[in-house]
Amino acid sequence: MSGEVDITLMVNGEEQVLSVPASRTLLAALRDDLELTGTKNACSQGVCGACTVLVDGMQVNACLLLAVNTDGCKITTIEGLGEGGKLSVVQQAFVDSGAIQCGFCMSGMIVSATALLAENPNPSRDEIRQALSGNLCRCSGYVRVVNAVLLASERRGA
Amino acid sequence: MHFHKPISLDEAIALLAGDAGAMPLAGGATLVAMMNAELIEPNALVSLGAIDELKAVKSAAGGDVRIGAMVSHTELATSEQLVGGHAVVRRAASLIAHPTVRNIGTIGGAVAHGDPSSDLLPALVAADAVIEAAGSAGRRDIAAEDFFEDYLTTTLAEGEVVAAVRLPKSPVGATGVYEKFTRVHGDYATLSVAVMLAMKGGNCSFVRIALGAAGPKPIRVKAAEALLIGSELDGEAIAAASQLLAEASDPVDDVRGSADYRLILVPRLLSRALANARSQVEGAA
Repeated sequence: MSGEVDITLMVNGEEQVLSVPASRTLLAALRDDLELTGTKNACSQGVCGACTVLVDGMQVNACLLLAVNTDGCKITTIEGLGEGGKLSVVQQAFVDSGAIQCGFCMSGMIVSATALLAENPNPSRDEIRQALSGNLCRCSGYVRVVNAVLLASERRGA
Repeated sequence: MHFHKPISLDEAIALLAGDAGAMPLAGGATLVAMMNAELIEPNALVSLGAIDELKAVKSAAGGDVRIGAMVSHTELATSEQLVGGHAVVRRAASLIAHPTVRNIGTIGGAVAHGDPSSDLLPALVAADAVIEAAGSAGRRDIAAEDFFEDYLTTTLAEGEVVAAVRLPKSPVGATGVYEKFTRVHGDYATLSVAVMLAMKGGNCSFVRIALGAAGPKPIRVKAAEALLIGSELDGEAIAAASQLLAEASDPVDDVRGSADYRLILVPRLLSRALANARSQVEGAA
């Protein structure tokens, strides 16, 4: 295979057939080909977590995956978390907790928090901090982020 | 760039042998980051992601564990097969970067990359691991201690890939611990110490120690281990062993700490690792 490669991704429940150069990252495919710009591009080194998405349910850095290597995978981005035009429980909890400052890191934070709660519905503050350790916030507002995940956990349990 | 995703290791090796500009792609946590930074521009990538034989952790009857090259750090960190002395590998994997990266990165990728700041490298040396390499000339086994040669340099030949990492049976009653010092959670180590330890009657009956981020490759000093074996792991013995390890170290100055600071950490982290390991083996006894 050379030049453009045809791939099929299931993105937020919709099948997407794309033709991409083999070197294109999943992040670039999402943002530039599918115009899903909620997933952010910052470090491109897997350090900041702004590009966190779920691939087959697992939180990963979309900048470290080649789109061709995710052919056939199920991708969930920030745009796919809400349902019927409503924010997800996690998204709403972030809004209600005042966790969002400039907002750039939030897509990644919320995707990581969603992955955590799917696996561990009642995490401790420490577990939340560890699960979100790969998501950097340069406004440095981590306390309310942890509060938001706890609130989401409570509301999901309610 | 060409992209291949073969389903057998033989096919992958043939593809790599046929194109000198091709590189094997494991998880991509390092390789894709290097492509993003324009440090490398491979002519072709051969993804190892569809090769089933590389994905399993298998425990053999004799107590050996064979870890396929494509096993992720998350899988290692949660593996129920890495017990006793092999826990050193599990614990090191659990401290690599962050969950997002651990879900992507693989043991084969980390081993082939050969970064002496990697958490897995000292753990594998402490576990006396064997690296199984596969290439067009066939398969060969290399002891982890000999496999890592220098910064980002291993004994892998052109076109060879890491197929698996084998951990030999660990001594009865042994445990494995990994102490890592970082300024920020999830960062590369300023210094790390991997230890496999067993005790008998209050004395150290077995120990293997390797330092990470202390030089161009994991640092192991058999004479330091010999000083500890038979001792009660008293302060004097640990100080003498630390001295030998520090003398064999050759760390760099970088943003994570000066070379001098790294050397100061050697006795401190070694004491902590041994105390931690000792309380585990004595608690279990």
